[in-house]
Amino acid sequence: MRPFHPLFILEIIPELVTYLPVTLGMVLGTVLFGGMWGFFLALAKVRRRPVTKALAEIYTYVTRCVPSVVMLFVVFYGLPELLLSVGINMNGVDNGFFVIVTFSILYAANISEVFRSAYLAIDKGQREAAVSVGLTEAQAFLRIVLPQSIVVAIPNFTNSLINLMKEGALAYTIGLIDIVGQGNRIIGRYQGSYTLEVYLALAALYWIMTIMIQKFFGAVEKKLSRGKKELTTAA
Amino acid sequence: MELNTKFMGETLVKVLAGIPVTLEITVFTLLIAGPLAFLSAVARAENRKVAGRLIAGYVSFIRGTPVILQILFLYSLLPSLLNHLIRNVLQLDYNIFDWNPVVYAYVVFIVNNLAVLTEVFRSALQTVNQGQLEAGLAVGMTKRQTYLRIIIPQAMVAAMPNLCNSTIGLLKSTSLAYMMGVKEITSIARTAAAYGYDYIEAYLDVFFVYLVLCTVVQLIFKGIEKRISVYKQRLAG
Repeated sequence: MRPFHPLFILEIIPELVTYLPVTLGMVLGTVLFGGMWGFFLALAKVRRRPVTKALAEIYTYVTRCVPSVVMLFVVFYGLPELLLSVGINMNGVDNGFFVIVTFSILYAANISEVFRSAYLAIDKGQREAAVSVGLTEAQAFLRIVLPQSIVVAIPNFTNSLINLMKEGALAYTIGLIDIVGQGNRIIGRYQGSYTLEVYLALAALYWIMTIMIQKFFGAVEKKLSRGKKELTTAA
Repeated sequence: MELNTKFMGETLVKVLAGIPVTLEITVFTLLIAGPLAFLSAVARAENRKVAGRLIAGYVSFIRGTPVILQILFLYSLLPSLLNHLIRNVLQLDYNIFDWNPVVYAYVVFIVNNLAVLTEVFRSALQTVNQGQLEAGLAVGMTKRQTYLRIIIPQAMVAAMPNLCNSTIGLLKSTSLAYMMGVKEITSIARTAAAYGYDYIEAYLDVFFVYLVLCTVVQLIFKGIEKRISVYKQRLAG
Protein backbone atom coordinates (compact mmCIF):
# COMPACT_ATOMS: atom_id res chain seq x y z
CA MET A 1 0.00 0.00 0.00
CA ARG A 2 1.24 3.44 -0.86
CA PRO A 3 2.07 5.85 1.95
CA PHE A 4 -0.43 8.44 3.14
CA HIS A 5 0.61 12.11 3.12
CA PRO A 6 -1.60 14.16 5.45
CA LEU A 7 0.22 17.38 4.54
CA PHE A 8 -0.80 17.02 0.91
CA ILE A 9 -4.40 17.64 2.02
CA LEU A 10 -3.43 21.14 3.20
CA GLU A 11 -1.28 21.71 0.13
CA ILE A 12 -4.10 21.20 -2.38
CA ILE A 13 -6.88 22.97 -0.52
CA PRO A 14 -5.91 26.40 -1.96
CA GLU A 15 -6.07 24.98 -5.49
CA LEU A 16 -9.47 23.39 -4.83
CA VAL A 17 -10.77 26.61 -3.30
CA THR A 18 -10.18 28.47 -6.58
CA TYR A 19 -12.96 26.27 -8.05
CA LEU A 20 -15.34 27.02 -5.20
CA PRO A 21 -17.06 29.76 -7.25
CA VAL A 22 -18.18 27.09 -9.74
CA THR A 23 -19.68 24.94 -6.97
CA LEU A 24 -21.31 27.92 -5.28
CA GLY A 25 -22.45 29.41 -8.59
CA MET A 26 -24.24 26.17 -9.36
CA VAL A 27 -25.94 26.32 -5.96
CA LEU A 28 -26.95 29.97 -6.33
CA GLY A 29 -28.19 29.52 -9.91
CA THR A 30 -30.30 26.57 -8.80
CA VAL A 31 -31.69 28.40 -5.77
CA LEU A 32 -32.64 31.29 -8.06
CA PHE A 33 -34.28 29.37 -10.93
CA GLY A 34 -35.45 26.40 -8.89
CA GLY A 35 -36.72 28.79 -6.25
CA MET A 36 -38.84 30.73 -8.76
CA TRP A 37 -40.24 27.55 -10.27
CA GLY A 38 -40.84 26.18 -6.76
CA PHE A 39 -42.70 29.36 -5.82
CA PHE A 40 -45.19 28.80 -8.65
CA LEU A 41 -45.55 25.15 -7.66
CA ALA A 42 -46.26 26.14 -4.07
CA LEU A 43 -48.78 28.73 -5.28
CA ALA A 44 -50.55 26.06 -7.31
CA LYS A 45 -50.66 23.81 -4.26
CA VAL A 46 -52.19 26.31 -1.82
CA ARG A 47 -54.73 27.73 -4.26
CA ARG A 48 -57.99 25.89 -4.72
CA ARG A 49 -57.75 25.15 -8.43
CA PRO A 50 -58.00 21.36 -8.69
CA VAL A 51 -56.17 20.86 -12.00
CA THR A 52 -53.05 22.96 -11.33
CA LYS A 53 -52.98 21.69 -7.75
CA ALA A 54 -53.00 18.07 -8.90
CA LEU A 55 -50.35 18.79 -11.54
CA ALA A 56 -48.09 20.47 -8.99
CA GLU A 57 -48.52 17.57 -6.59
CA ILE A 58 -47.77 14.96 -9.24
CA TYR A 59 -44.69 16.92 -10.31
CA THR A 60 -43.44 17.03 -6.72
CA TYR A 61 -44.07 13.34 -6.16
CA VAL A 62 -42.38 12.20 -9.35
CA THR A 63 -39.27 14.35 -9.10
CA ARG A 64 -38.75 13.37 -5.47
CA CYS A 65 -38.70 9.68 -6.44
CA VAL A 66 -35.88 10.01 -8.94
CA PRO A 67 -32.18 9.83 -8.00
CA SER A 68 -30.34 13.06 -8.86
CA VAL A 69 -27.75 11.24 -10.91
CA VAL A 70 -30.47 9.72 -13.10
CA MET A 71 -32.16 13.09 -13.59
CA LEU A 72 -28.77 14.62 -14.38
CA PHE A 73 -28.17 12.11 -17.16
CA VAL A 74 -31.72 12.36 -18.52
CA VAL A 75 -31.29 16.13 -18.85
CA PHE A 76 -27.71 15.94 -20.12
CA TYR A 77 -28.54 13.48 -22.91
CA GLY A 78 -32.21 14.32 -23.42
CA LEU A 79 -32.40 18.12 -23.39
CA PRO A 80 -30.09 18.75 -26.39
CA GLU A 81 -32.07 16.28 -28.51
CA LEU A 82 -35.37 17.69 -27.37
CA LEU A 83 -34.25 21.23 -28.24
CA LEU A 84 -32.70 20.08 -31.51
CA SER A 85 -36.12 18.86 -32.64
CA VAL A 86 -37.42 22.42 -32.30
CA GLY A 87 -34.36 23.77 -34.07
CA ILE A 88 -32.15 24.86 -31.19
CA ASN A 89 -28.58 23.61 -31.31
CA MET A 90 -27.09 23.05 -27.89
CA ASN A 91 -23.59 22.21 -29.08
CA GLY A 92 -20.94 24.07 -27.16
CA VAL A 93 -23.26 25.02 -24.31
CA ASP A 94 -21.48 24.94 -20.97
CA ASN A 95 -22.07 21.84 -18.84
CA GLY A 96 -22.99 24.13 -15.98
CA PHE A 97 -26.21 24.90 -17.87
CA PHE A 98 -27.35 21.26 -17.72
CA VAL A 99 -26.36 21.04 -14.08
CA ILE A 100 -28.44 24.08 -13.17
CA VAL A 101 -31.41 22.87 -15.24
CA THR A 102 -31.29 19.43 -13.57
CA PHE A 103 -30.99 20.67 -10.04
CA SER A 104 -33.59 23.40 -10.60
CA ILE A 105 -36.07 20.72 -11.68
CA LEU A 106 -35.35 18.74 -8.51
CA TYR A 107 -34.91 21.66 -6.13
CA ALA A 108 -38.19 23.27 -7.18
CA ALA A 109 -40.09 20.27 -5.83
CA ASN A 110 -38.31 20.40 -2.48
CA ILE A 111 -38.50 24.14 -2.04
CA SER A 112 -42.17 24.22 -3.05
CA GLU A 113 -42.90 22.02 -0.04
CA VAL A 114 -40.85 24.36 2.16
CA PHE A 115 -42.85 27.37 0.88
CA ARG A 116 -46.16 25.56 1.19
CA SER A 117 -45.63 24.41 4.76
CA ALA A 118 -44.31 27.83 5.79
CA TYR A 119 -47.35 29.55 4.30
CA LEU A 120 -49.77 27.12 5.94
CA ALA A 121 -48.00 27.48 9.29
CA ILE A 122 -49.27 31.04 9.63
CA ASP A 123 -52.76 31.18 11.09
CA LYS A 124 -55.45 32.39 8.70
CA GLY A 125 -56.65 34.76 11.41
CA GLN A 126 -53.51 36.85 10.90
CA ARG A 127 -54.48 37.73 7.35
CA GLU A 128 -58.09 38.30 8.37
CA ALA A 129 -57.05 40.52 11.25
CA ALA A 130 -54.77 42.53 8.97
CA VAL A 131 -57.47 43.00 6.34
CA SER A 132 -60.04 43.91 8.97
CA VAL A 133 -57.90 46.78 10.25
CA GLY A 134 -57.77 48.21 6.73
CA LEU A 135 -54.68 46.71 5.09
CA THR A 136 -55.03 45.61 1.47
CA GLU A 137 -54.50 41.97 0.55
CA ALA A 138 -51.02 42.75 -0.77
CA GLN A 139 -50.10 44.69 2.36
CA ALA A 140 -51.45 41.93 4.60
CA PHE A 141 -49.35 39.37 2.77
CA LEU A 142 -46.15 41.41 2.52
CA ARG A 143 -46.18 42.94 6.01
CA ILE A 144 -47.91 40.32 8.14
CA VAL A 145 -47.90 36.84 6.61
CA LEU A 146 -44.62 36.84 4.68
CA PRO A 147 -42.27 37.98 7.49
CA GLN A 148 -43.64 35.24 9.75
CA SER A 149 -43.52 32.61 7.01
CA ILE A 150 -39.87 33.37 6.35
CA VAL A 151 -38.92 32.62 9.94
CA VAL A 152 -40.83 29.33 9.82
CA ALA A 153 -39.19 28.41 6.51
CA ILE A 154 -35.57 29.01 7.54
CA PRO A 155 -34.73 25.59 9.07
CA ASN A 156 -36.24 23.69 6.11
CA PHE A 157 -34.67 26.08 3.65
CA THR A 158 -31.27 25.52 5.29
CA ASN A 159 -31.68 21.76 4.95
CA SER A 160 -32.70 22.03 1.32
CA LEU A 161 -29.71 24.25 0.61
CA ILE A 162 -27.26 21.83 2.25
CA ASN A 163 -28.78 18.89 0.40
CA LEU A 164 -28.56 20.77 -2.87
CA MET A 165 -24.90 21.58 -2.29
CA LYS A 166 -24.09 17.95 -1.49
CA GLU A 167 -26.07 16.58 -4.45
CA GLY A 168 -24.29 19.16 -6.59
CA ALA A 169 -21.10 17.16 -6.08
CA LEU A 170 -22.50 14.83 -8.75
CA ALA A 171 -22.05 17.51 -11.40
CA TYR A 172 -18.56 16.22 -12.16
CA THR A 173 -20.14 13.06 -13.64
CA ILE A 174 -21.19 15.10 -16.70
CA GLY A 175 -17.85 16.87 -16.83
CA LEU A 176 -18.36 20.07 -14.86
CA ILE A 177 -15.11 21.25 -13.34
CA ASP A 178 -16.22 22.28 -9.89
CA ILE A 179 -14.21 21.44 -6.77
CA VAL A 180 -14.87 17.72 -7.22
CA GLY A 181 -14.02 17.89 -10.93
CA GLN A 182 -10.78 19.69 -10.15
CA GLY A 183 -10.07 17.16 -7.41
CA ASN A 184 -10.32 14.39 -9.96
CA ARG A 185 -7.97 16.30 -12.28
CA ILE A 186 -5.44 16.55 -9.43
CA ILE A 187 -5.75 12.80 -8.86
CA GLY A 188 -5.08 12.25 -12.54
CA ARG A 189 -2.10 14.61 -12.53
CA TYR A 190 -0.35 12.47 -9.90
CA GLN A 191 -1.50 9.18 -11.48
CA GLY A 192 -3.70 8.33 -8.51
CA SER A 193 -0.95 8.68 -5.89
CA TYR A 194 -2.94 11.12 -3.78
CA THR A 195 -6.47 9.84 -4.23
CA LEU A 196 -7.34 9.58 -0.55
CA GLU A 197 -5.77 12.94 0.29
CA VAL A 198 -7.78 14.70 -2.42
CA TYR A 199 -11.07 13.16 -1.35
CA LEU A 200 -10.37 14.04 2.27
CA ALA A 201 -9.60 17.63 1.28
CA LEU A 202 -12.91 17.78 -0.62
CA ALA A 203 -14.77 16.25 2.32
CA ALA A 204 -13.24 18.87 4.62
CA LEU A 205 -14.35 21.67 2.27
CA TYR A 206 -17.92 20.35 2.10
CA TRP A 207 -18.04 19.86 5.84
CA ILE A 208 -16.88 23.42 6.48
CA MET A 209 -19.39 24.81 3.98
CA THR A 210 -22.22 22.83 5.58
CA ILE A 211 -21.34 24.09 9.04
CA MET A 212 -21.05 27.66 7.77
CA ILE A 213 -24.49 27.49 6.13
CA GLN A 214 -25.98 26.08 9.34
CA LYS A 215 -24.37 28.74 11.52
CA PHE A 216 -25.30 31.58 9.17
CA PHE A 217 -28.97 30.67 8.85
CA GLY A 218 -29.15 29.79 12.53
CA ALA A 219 -28.08 33.38 13.27
CA VAL A 220 -30.53 34.78 10.71
CA GLU A 221 -33.36 32.80 12.24
CA LYS A 222 -32.49 34.03 15.69
CA LYS A 223 -32.41 37.63 14.51
CA LEU A 224 -35.68 37.41 12.59
CA SER A 225 -37.60 35.69 15.37
CA ARG A 226 -36.99 38.50 17.87
CA GLY A 227 -40.61 39.65 17.53
CA LYS A 228 -41.83 36.16 18.27
CA LYS A 229 -40.09 36.03 21.63
CA GLU A 230 -41.64 39.29 22.84
CA LEU A 231 -45.07 37.92 22.10
CA THR A 232 -44.57 34.73 24.07
CA THR A 233 -43.19 36.56 27.11
CA ALA A 234 -46.07 39.04 26.99
CA ALA A 235 -48.61 36.23 26.90
CA MET B 1 -36.80 13.88 -31.00
CA GLU B 2 -37.57 10.22 -31.38
CA LEU B 3 -37.14 7.58 -28.74
CA ASN B 4 -35.91 4.13 -29.65
CA THR B 5 -38.91 2.40 -28.10
CA LYS B 6 -37.79 -1.09 -29.05
CA PHE B 7 -34.52 -0.58 -27.19
CA MET B 8 -36.40 0.98 -24.31
CA GLY B 9 -38.62 -2.08 -23.92
CA GLU B 10 -35.72 -4.50 -24.11
CA THR B 11 -33.65 -2.49 -21.65
CA LEU B 12 -36.54 -2.21 -19.23
CA VAL B 13 -36.61 -6.00 -18.98
CA LYS B 14 -32.85 -6.08 -18.38
CA VAL B 15 -33.08 -3.28 -15.83
CA LEU B 16 -35.75 -5.14 -13.88
CA ALA B 17 -33.14 -7.83 -13.23
CA GLY B 18 -31.20 -5.22 -11.24
CA ILE B 19 -34.02 -4.58 -8.78
CA PRO B 20 -33.05 -7.43 -6.40
CA VAL B 21 -29.53 -5.98 -6.04
CA THR B 22 -30.88 -2.48 -5.36
CA LEU B 23 -33.32 -3.83 -2.78
CA GLU B 24 -30.67 -6.07 -1.22
CA ILE B 25 -28.38 -3.10 -0.61
CA THR B 26 -31.26 -1.05 0.78
CA VAL B 27 -32.63 -3.75 3.10
CA PHE B 28 -29.25 -5.02 4.29
CA THR B 29 -28.14 -1.47 5.07
CA LEU B 30 -31.29 -0.78 7.05
CA LEU B 31 -31.00 -4.06 8.98
CA ILE B 32 -27.42 -3.36 10.06
CA ALA B 33 -27.42 0.43 10.38
CA GLY B 34 -30.90 0.64 11.97
CA PRO B 35 -30.21 -1.13 15.30
CA LEU B 36 -26.73 0.43 15.56
CA ALA B 37 -28.17 3.87 14.92
CA PHE B 38 -30.77 3.28 17.58
CA LEU B 39 -28.11 2.43 20.12
CA SER B 40 -26.07 5.49 19.24
CA ALA B 41 -29.18 7.67 19.47
CA VAL B 42 -29.84 6.29 22.96
CA ALA B 43 -26.19 6.86 23.91
CA ARG B 44 -26.55 10.48 22.85
CA ALA B 45 -29.82 10.90 24.69
CA GLU B 46 -28.27 9.45 27.85
CA ASN B 47 -25.72 12.28 27.79
CA ARG B 48 -22.63 10.11 27.89
CA LYS B 49 -20.04 12.82 27.49
CA VAL B 50 -17.28 11.27 25.36
CA ALA B 51 -19.48 8.85 23.44
CA GLY B 52 -22.10 11.55 22.87
CA ARG B 53 -19.51 13.97 21.47
CA LEU B 54 -17.98 11.32 19.22
CA ILE B 55 -21.36 10.33 17.86
CA ALA B 56 -22.32 13.98 17.32
CA GLY B 57 -19.07 14.58 15.42
CA TYR B 58 -19.55 11.49 13.29
CA VAL B 59 -23.13 12.43 12.43
CA SER B 60 -22.11 15.99 11.59
CA PHE B 61 -19.26 14.88 9.33
CA ILE B 62 -21.20 12.22 7.44
CA ARG B 63 -24.24 14.45 7.01
CA GLY B 64 -22.05 17.38 6.04
CA THR B 65 -20.34 15.64 3.12
CA PRO B 66 -21.77 14.29 -0.16
CA VAL B 67 -22.49 10.54 -0.42
CA ILE B 68 -20.57 10.51 -3.66
CA LEU B 69 -17.39 11.57 -1.86
CA GLN B 70 -17.93 8.88 0.75
CA ILE B 71 -18.25 6.34 -2.06
CA LEU B 72 -15.16 7.59 -3.89
CA PHE B 73 -13.11 7.68 -0.69
CA LEU B 74 -14.07 4.29 0.72
CA TYR B 75 -13.89 2.61 -2.65
CA SER B 76 -10.34 3.93 -3.15
CA LEU B 77 -9.35 2.94 0.36
CA LEU B 78 -10.97 -0.35 1.29
CA PRO B 79 -9.94 -2.80 -1.46
CA SER B 80 -6.25 -1.93 -1.30
CA LEU B 81 -6.27 -1.65 2.50
CA LEU B 82 -7.84 -5.11 2.85
CA ASN B 83 -5.44 -6.51 0.29
CA HIS B 84 -2.51 -5.07 2.23
CA LEU B 85 -3.80 -6.51 5.51
CA ILE B 86 -4.34 -9.97 4.09
CA ARG B 87 -1.14 -10.24 2.04
CA ASN B 88 1.38 -8.47 4.22
CA VAL B 89 0.00 -8.59 7.74
CA LEU B 90 -1.76 -11.95 7.79
CA GLN B 91 0.57 -13.43 5.12
CA LEU B 92 -2.29 -15.21 3.36
CA ASP B 93 -2.48 -16.01 -0.32
CA TYR B 94 -5.97 -14.77 -0.93
CA ASN B 95 -7.23 -12.47 -3.66
CA ILE B 96 -9.47 -9.79 -2.23
CA PHE B 97 -10.17 -8.41 -5.69
CA ASP B 98 -12.32 -11.47 -6.46
CA TRP B 99 -14.92 -10.18 -4.03
CA ASN B 100 -18.23 -8.94 -5.32
CA PRO B 101 -18.03 -5.12 -5.15
CA VAL B 102 -21.46 -5.10 -3.52
CA VAL B 103 -19.58 -5.65 -0.23
CA TYR B 104 -18.13 -2.13 -0.52
CA ALA B 105 -21.59 -0.78 -1.33
CA TYR B 106 -22.83 -2.31 1.92
CA VAL B 107 -20.01 -0.66 3.86
CA VAL B 108 -20.52 2.78 2.30
CA PHE B 109 -24.26 2.84 2.77
CA ILE B 110 -24.06 1.47 6.31
CA VAL B 111 -21.50 4.15 7.24
CA ASN B 112 -23.73 6.79 5.68
CA ASN B 113 -27.06 5.60 7.05
CA LEU B 114 -25.73 5.05 10.53
CA ALA B 115 -25.44 8.84 10.73
CA VAL B 116 -28.74 9.57 9.01
CA LEU B 117 -30.70 7.09 11.13
CA THR B 118 -29.06 8.24 14.36
CA GLU B 119 -30.62 11.65 13.75
CA VAL B 120 -33.97 10.07 12.87
CA PHE B 121 -34.06 8.04 16.09
CA ARG B 122 -32.71 10.86 18.20
CA SER B 123 -35.54 13.16 17.20
CA ALA B 124 -38.02 10.29 17.62
CA LEU B 125 -36.80 9.63 21.17
CA GLN B 126 -37.18 13.31 21.97
CA THR B 127 -40.88 13.10 21.18
CA VAL B 128 -41.38 10.64 24.06
CA ASN B 129 -41.72 12.48 27.34
CA GLN B 130 -38.82 11.99 29.75
CA GLY B 131 -41.41 11.31 32.48
CA GLN B 132 -42.27 8.01 30.83
CA LEU B 133 -38.81 6.65 31.57
CA GLU B 134 -39.03 7.89 35.14
CA ALA B 135 -42.53 6.40 35.53
CA GLY B 136 -41.30 3.06 34.23
CA LEU B 137 -38.41 3.04 36.70
CA ALA B 138 -40.71 4.16 39.51
CA VAL B 139 -43.01 1.17 39.10
CA GLY B 140 -40.01 -1.14 39.34
CA MET B 141 -39.21 -1.88 35.69
CA THR B 142 -35.56 -1.98 34.69
CA LYS B 143 -34.25 0.63 32.30
CA ARG B 144 -34.03 -2.02 29.60
CA GLN B 145 -37.63 -3.05 30.11
CA THR B 146 -38.81 0.53 30.08
CA TYR B 147 -37.04 1.17 26.79
CA LEU B 148 -38.27 -2.01 25.16
CA ARG B 149 -41.87 -1.93 26.34
CA ILE B 150 -42.66 1.73 26.82
CA ILE B 151 -40.35 4.07 24.98
CA ILE B 152 -39.38 2.24 21.81
CA PRO B 153 -42.95 1.35 20.75
CA GLN B 154 -43.92 5.03 20.95
CA ALA B 155 -40.70 6.37 19.46
CA MET B 156 -41.04 4.05 16.47
CA VAL B 157 -44.40 5.55 15.57
CA ALA B 158 -42.89 9.04 15.69
CA ALA B 159 -39.90 7.85 13.66
CA MET B 160 -41.91 6.35 10.81
CA PRO B 161 -42.33 9.40 8.52
CA ASN B 162 -38.62 10.26 8.78
CA LEU B 163 -37.66 6.62 8.43
CA CYS B 164 -39.69 6.49 5.22
CA ASN B 165 -37.93 9.59 3.88
CA SER B 166 -34.49 8.30 4.77
CA THR B 167 -35.26 4.90 3.21
CA ILE B 168 -36.25 6.62 0.00
CA GLY B 169 -33.06 8.66 0.19
CA LEU B 170 -31.08 5.45 0.62
CA LEU B 171 -32.91 3.75 -2.24
CA LYS B 172 -32.11 6.70 -4.48
CA SER B 173 -28.47 6.86 -3.44
CA THR B 174 -27.95 3.16 -4.25
CA SER B 175 -28.08 4.33 -7.87
CA LEU B 176 -24.52 5.58 -7.23
CA ALA B 177 -23.32 2.04 -6.53
CA TYR B 178 -22.64 1.77 -10.27
CA MET B 179 -19.43 3.69 -9.51
CA MET B 180 -18.22 0.71 -7.50
CA GLY B 181 -19.01 -1.72 -10.27
CA VAL B 182 -22.14 -3.08 -8.61
CA LYS B 183 -24.59 -4.45 -11.18
CA GLU B 184 -27.68 -2.63 -9.99
CA ILE B 185 -30.43 -0.84 -11.93
CA THR B 186 -28.44 2.20 -13.08
CA SER B 187 -25.35 0.20 -13.90
CA ILE B 188 -27.28 -2.27 -16.10
CA ALA B 189 -28.94 0.62 -17.92
CA ARG B 190 -25.61 2.35 -18.54
CA THR B 191 -24.04 -0.80 -19.92
CA ALA B 192 -26.99 -1.38 -22.25
CA ALA B 193 -26.95 2.26 -23.40
CA ALA B 194 -23.22 2.44 -24.06
CA TYR B 195 -23.55 0.02 -26.97
CA GLY B 196 -25.71 2.21 -29.20
CA TYR B 197 -25.55 5.53 -27.31
CA ASP B 198 -29.24 5.20 -26.31
CA TYR B 199 -28.68 6.95 -23.00
CA ILE B 200 -31.96 8.85 -22.80
CA GLU B 201 -34.02 5.70 -23.31
CA ALA B 202 -31.98 3.76 -20.75
CA TYR B 203 -32.18 6.49 -18.13
CA LEU B 204 -35.90 6.94 -18.69
CA ASP B 205 -36.26 3.24 -17.92
CA VAL B 206 -34.33 3.75 -14.68
CA PHE B 207 -36.48 6.80 -13.93
CA PHE B 208 -39.61 4.68 -14.31
CA VAL B 209 -38.29 1.81 -12.19
CA TYR B 210 -37.37 4.19 -9.36
CA LEU B 211 -40.80 5.77 -9.50
CA VAL B 212 -42.38 2.35 -8.96
CA LEU B 213 -39.91 1.29 -6.23
CA CYS B 214 -40.36 4.57 -4.43
CA THR B 215 -44.12 4.21 -4.49
CA VAL B 216 -43.92 0.67 -3.13
CA VAL B 217 -41.63 1.77 -0.29
CA GLN B 218 -44.05 4.55 0.65
CA LEU B 219 -47.00 2.15 0.65
CA ILE B 220 -45.10 -0.29 2.86
CA PHE B 221 -44.28 2.45 5.36
CA LYS B 222 -47.88 3.68 5.37
CA GLY B 223 -48.95 0.13 6.20
CA ILE B 224 -46.41 -0.26 9.00
CA GLU B 225 -47.27 3.13 10.45
CA LYS B 226 -50.95 2.25 10.53
CA ARG B 227 -50.24 -1.06 12.27
CA ILE B 228 -47.91 0.20 14.94
CA SER B 229 -49.96 3.28 15.77
CA VAL B 230 -52.94 1.09 16.65
CA TYR B 231 -52.54 2.02 20.32
CA LYS B 232 -53.31 5.65 19.52
CA GLN B 233 -56.58 4.77 17.84
CA ARG B 234 -57.60 2.63 20.82
CA LEU B 235 -56.98 5.53 23.14
CA ALA B 236 -59.00 7.84 20.95
CA GLY B 237 -61.86 5.36 20.62
